[in-house]
Amino acid sequence: MVLFLYSILFVITVALAVGVLLNKDTVRSAMCLVGVMMCLAANYLLMQQEFVAFIQIVVYAGAIMVLFLFVIMLLNLREVEVLPWYLRNARFWGGVLALLFFFVVGFGINVFRSSHGIPGVVAKEQALAESGTPEVIILATQMMTTYIVPFLLTSVLLLVAVIGAIVMARRRDEDGNEIVLDPEEVDA
Amino acid sequence: MTSLLQPNLILATLLFTIGILGVMWKRNAIALFMSVELMLNAANLAFVSFAHELGIMSGGILVLFVMTVAAAEAGVGLAIFIALFRARRHIRVDEHDTLHG
Repeated sequence: MVLFLYSILFVITVALAVGVLLNKDTVRSAMCLVGVMMCLAANYLLMQQEFVAFIQIVVYAGAIMVLFLFVIMLLNLREVEVLPWYLRNARFWGGVLALLFFFVVGFGINVFRSSHGIPGVVAKEQALAESGTPEVIILATQMMTTYIVPFLLTSVLLLVAVIGAIVMARRRDEDGNEIVLDPEEVDA
Repeated sequence: MTSLLQPNLILATLLFTIGILGVMWKRNAIALFMSVELMLNAANLAFVSFAHELGIMSGGILVLFVMTVAAAEAGVGLAIFIALFRARRHIRVDEHDTLHG
C-alpha cells in the first residue's frame, strides 16, 4: 500500500518538476513548484517526519512561494520568452551536462552500500528516537544542544538578509538620495 | 516495509537535475531562482531519507537550516530583482552584462 502510494507520488512529483522547467509562464511555473513542495511534504509524511512535512507546507509552499508570486505579480513578468540564437547552443550543451550529472550521481547511488558501520553519534540518536519521545521534542532538544551554534548563526543570517533586503529595495531618486515621505503628506 | 532510500535518492537526483536544467535554460531571473529552490528541495529530500534510513531525527534539523537559508536567499534575491527591474525595466539575466569582463 505504501509502495503504491509512493509510486504515484514519485510520478506526480517528477511531472510537476518538469512543469516548473517547461512552463513558459512564470506564474504557472511557480504553481507547479508549490505542487512539488506539497508532494515532498507527503513524501516526508510517508517517512513519519510529521513536523518536517508541516514546516515544508507552511514555510516553503506558504511563505517562500507567496513571496515569489508576489514579486512576479509586482513586476508583471508574464511575458513569453523568445530565445535568441546565441542561447540555443548553450542550451544543448547545458542539457548534455545535466544528463551526465544525472547518470554519474545515479550510478553513485546504485553502487552505494553503507559499509562503514554506524558511528557513535548516530547510535546515540537512534536510541533517543527509539525511546518513544515525540519527534518535535527530539528536534527541539537537539536544536538547543548539539546544533546550538548553527542555530545562533541562523539568526545572524536572517538579520543580515532582512537588512540587505531593505537596503536593496529602498527607493532612491536620480542622484541616489533616499526618498523620504513627508509625514504630514502621508496623513493627509 | 521495504526501504524507500533508493527510490527517494533517485527522486532527489531527478529533481536536482531538473533544477540544474532550469538554471542553465531559463533567462528569467525569477524562474532561475525557482530552479534553485527545486535543487534545495532535492537536497532536503536526500537529508530526510538518509535520516529515516538510519532511524534518526537530525535530517529534520538540517532541513530547517536549509529552509532558513532558502528564505533569506529568496528575500535578498527578490529585493535585488526589484531594484534591477526599477533600473532596467527587465530581469532577463543574459542581457545584464555590465560586469561581464
